[in-house]
Amino acid sequence: MVEETRSQVSDPSPKNVRQVDPKTLEIIWTDGHESVYSVRHLRENCPCASCIDEWTGEKRIDPSSISENIQPLNLKSVGLYAIQFFWNDGHDTGFYSHKLMRKLCQCGECSSGKQEV
Amino acid sequence: MEDQELQVKVMAVLKTVIDPDLHKDIVGLGFVKEMNVTGGKVKFQVELTTPACPVKEQLRTECETKVRAIDGVDSVDVEMTAMVRTAQHSQPILTKVKNIIAVASGKGGVGKSTVSVNLAIALQMSGARVGLMDGDIYGPSIPQMLGIPISPPKAGSDNKFFPHEKYGIKVVSAAFLSKEGQPLMLRGPMLGGIIQQFLQNVDWGELDYLVIDLPPGTGDVQLTLTQRAPLSGAVVVTTPQEVSLIDAEKGVRMFESVKVPLLGIVENMSYFVCDNCDKKHHIFKSGGGNTLAEKFKVPFLGEIPLVGEVVEGGDSGVPVVLGDPDSPVSRAYQALGGQVAAQLSITHSSEDKSESSFELAWKG
Repeated sequence: MVEETRSQVSDPSPKNVRQVDPKTLEIIWTDGHESVYSVRHLRENCPCASCIDEWTGEKRIDPSSISENIQPLNLKSVGLYAIQFFWNDGHDTGFYSHKLMRKLCQCGECSSGKQEV
Repeated sequence: MEDQELQVKVMAVLKTVIDPDLHKDIVGLGFVKEMNVTGGKVKFQVELTTPACPVKEQLRTECETKVRAIDGVDSVDVEMTAMVRTAQHSQPILTKVKNIIAVASGKGGVGKSTVSVNLAIALQMSGARVGLMDGDIYGPSIPQMLGIPISPPKAGSDNKFFPHEKYGIKVVSAAFLSKEGQPLMLRGPMLGGIIQQFLQNVDWGELDYLVIDLPPGTGDVQLTLTQRAPLSGAVVVTTPQEVSLIDAEKGVRMFESVKVPLLGIVENMSYFVCDNCDKKHHIFKSGGGNTLAEKFKVPFLGEIPLVGEVVEGGDSGVPVVLGDPDSPVSRAYQALGGQVAAQLSITHSSEDKSESSFELAWKG
């Protein structure tokens, strides 16, 4: 009974967060899924209000304006539901919810089932 | 019989004692401590996860009866103790606070502050160390309810300040930051700043439970707390009417989206018991809280009756749980305290080991 009463459990959380190489982040989730991300892809999809229009959801950041050498300096958890990236271009206002992180996953399985992102 | 042999038998028998909340035996849970068997005299401790455990006496009786039934046992001495477990996630703030409980509602006027105050006292009466944070910056009412005169908090070292204390509970409220009756007029971003201060700059000392009375709604204060404080769980307060339930549902969804475990739903002002008859009058419909709990598959933590004593307690500064501990409403609050403590123990034991708090420095 107890296990079934916890609806939150169904939403996976990061179990292990690791830097693979200077351009790649890996997250292993509590449901066993292994996500990989190019850090550039994450920066391009920053969900903060200056990168995405709050009202229309339109992307306001031009991907070509992001430096070739974009990398995080640091990343950390926000509460129990999101991750914050501190980028080397000075940008740090995006809270990437776990849900968004799953949507952005670029592992073979996820990218084959998705349209170009 | 050899003492050692007897001890093995005692342990075997205690393995059949199941904690009704955690659904595991008390030996497997590591609750049995300081086992001592000498010449047929058996002595041990059962360490529970909270002094507010609602089944404490039931467990004690079961241990005693089962051990006494063993051949060769002359006497049994069971001591019930408690070690409150810490939530797994530890952000650097509030490190000496073991559990942080947010009391919330989607809608105002459902009695959040009353529930928070009486819940805090019920937990304190069970023997736990309890703090109470008044998260309602614009309309702080906790000091009034506890009868604490408005005075600025005492400053400590390192920019810290000390909470006020009353009835053994440590209290922080925005009411202490301005003159009595003066409104705090602030724009949104300042709210987050004050909450941040309450979290970072208050010297709470060691606490088993910090109860946070949230303002109504799903705004700045709620978001700052979920992002900055390592909340162990949330309690959503509602009243039985449908309009209240619609908003309570939003509260539940807010905690879901920020992944704060929902400990359950409390229905306040559930029914009215009049002076002359013992009949429960459900003046605002009934069963709404329970329906909401079922819908979201979270525990229903109980019904709190609507009685004049609660209001009097709030106005006079002597909360009803203290003023009249044996009244039905006080018993409802004590049961609520036990339920909340039990649900926290369950979330701790079932928490999968997610890396909920981390920081990763990127190597270029």
